[in-house]
Amino acid sequence: MDCEKFDRVVLDLLYDELDELTAAAARRHMEHCARCSGIGSGLRATREVGMLPVLEPPADLESRILAAERRAHAELPLRQRIGRAVSVMAGYAMRPQLAMAALLVLVLASSLVLLRARPGDRDAMRVTERGVPEVEGEAVVVPVPEQQPAGASPSPPSPAFGAARERSGRSASEPSEPKAEAALGVARSGGAGAPAASRPEDESAPPHRSDQQAYDEALARLNARDFEEAQRDFEAIEARGGDNAASAALLAAQAVLGQSGCTAAVKRFEDVASRYPGISIGHEATWQAAKCCQELGQLDRARRHLLTLRATQAYAQRAQTALDALEGQAQGQTAVASRRAASRPAPAKAAPAKPASKARRARPPAAAAAEERPAAPKADVGF
Amino acid sequence: MAAARGDATDEMLMVRYQRGDREAFGELVRRYQAPIYNFVIRHLQHPSTAEDVTQDVFMRVVQKAAEFKHEARFSTWLYTIARNLCIDHLRKLSHRRHPSLDQAPGADPDQPALGESIADRHPRADVDRSATASEVQACVVSAVSALPEEQREVFLLREIGNLPFREIAEVTGVGENTVKSRMRYALDRLRSALSEFEEYSRALR
Repeated sequence: MDCEKFDRVVLDLLYDELDELTAAAARRHMEHCARCSGIGSGLRATREVGMLPVLEPPADLESRILAAERRAHAELPLRQRIGRAVSVMAGYAMRPQLAMAALLVLVLASSLVLLRARPGDRDAMRVTERGVPEVEGEAVVVPVPEQQPAGASPSPPSPAFGAARERSGRSASEPSEPKAEAALGVARSGGAGAPAASRPEDESAPPHRSDQQAYDEALARLNARDFEEAQRDFEAIEARGGDNAASAALLAAQAVLGQSGCTAAVKRFEDVASRYPGISIGHEATWQAAKCCQELGQLDRARRHLLTLRATQAYAQRAQTALDALEGQAQGQTAVASRRAASRPAPAKAAPAKPASKARRARPPAAAAAEERPAAPKADVGF
Repeated sequence: MAAARGDATDEMLMVRYQRGDREAFGELVRRYQAPIYNFVIRHLQHPSTAEDVTQDVFMRVVQKAAEFKHEARFSTWLYTIARNLCIDHLRKLSHRRHPSLDQAPGADPDQPALGESIADRHPRADVDRSATASEVQACVVSAVSALPEEQREVFLLREIGNLPFREIAEVTGVGENTVKSRMRYALDRLRSALSEFEEYSRALR
């Protein structure tokens, strides 16, 4: 490296934006060049001494902002609310995956209509002892199609779903949420008659909830840490397809994380990432999978996910920071293993990696959020 | 859910907010109100206005939530909004008279009166002058206030917003090399202001 190149990269070096090779070359150059060493030291000292004092915002600023947000939502004219909803939906409708999901929903809906147009075949009649149908006007029982047990693996998402649910200790006889199960039944049976089956005799039952309503309710369950129900609801929403399918898949995985930790959740995140590649949901799922792998000590797997994310604009910086941290963790593990090997002449089992999934769940939000924020440079100034 | 939301990235929170999760917006406010407030107050140098502009930044997020594209970073988008609102405000202020030198800028104990900060720009030229922490801080505040607007915004986006240079280039609409050049000038000016303090000499070692 020469002085000209050093001048071009010195700020990147100061703010840790250089790759390791170039940073090492710049540091070596400073060791041999008084001019560049002076420049580097001066800039570093300026940053150290010249920290702007951080001002606390007024105590009521947050509440004022949130109150203004509530007013903004309340005052939004109906036309604008509808327009906003339409623009959001239209934005997502342009995506190929959602277009295909919408087509699938259309096909299912038309199947429902066409099949229900001939109800005679599915109507059951009570047969008298004489072997003839009951007289018209008497009660007719519509049989409920056999539902699969709650613990079984449903057809839509991945095989990991069934395995995760088994690991979480669900039994086949556990009572299940009727609407979610009906929705799953719709997905499994292709929609043929399941809605009617879920309301066998009560024709005054409330109509099927809208997708958005179901999504909101599932979100409320997740907020209330009712992870099991939230997971089921989100899986049902994803199975139905539509605008919320992708985010429902991700939030179902989040619910698994909340309920069972990284051991169960990592595969779910990977499944979501593979089902929704190239969009923010898929990227976020990959990011969560990487974090879980790191927690579980599966560093190679974490590294693969982070290398994938590094190619995306929104996650490049974060992924690189995480990769650097991963290298440090890997070196630490190697050092521990070497020390153990040196202290024990006879071959011995290495201590198993402490499962960190519970630690991840128990971590306070502020610390987790602080990790998510870009690393503050103040405490780490220096070459 | 606080723990689950605390783990979520900013972009994920925006996804949820776009889907109607109002608490996701609350989490974004908690994360960014302090840095945005600091960016605005240092850029505008007017504490009472900074509160209103900070609130306006988040209201703009509410109004334009549907337009946020998840391929971009939320922080880049947010600071672009903040910067644009600051520019609009500075244009309005430029038509006003210059403030009195004795005007105390609100109840901010960290920010000296403008008269004091101007005097501090030309302290005694004692070599390695020992100073209290508050003197050094006042000098830093004064030096940043005195930066040309283009250099000041780059400096604040880097030091307060912690945005990488590539993202600062997106926010400001100039090339990355131009951003680095402005940052270098800003740091050089700051170095001139701090060079006579003992703390600076100690940091050099």
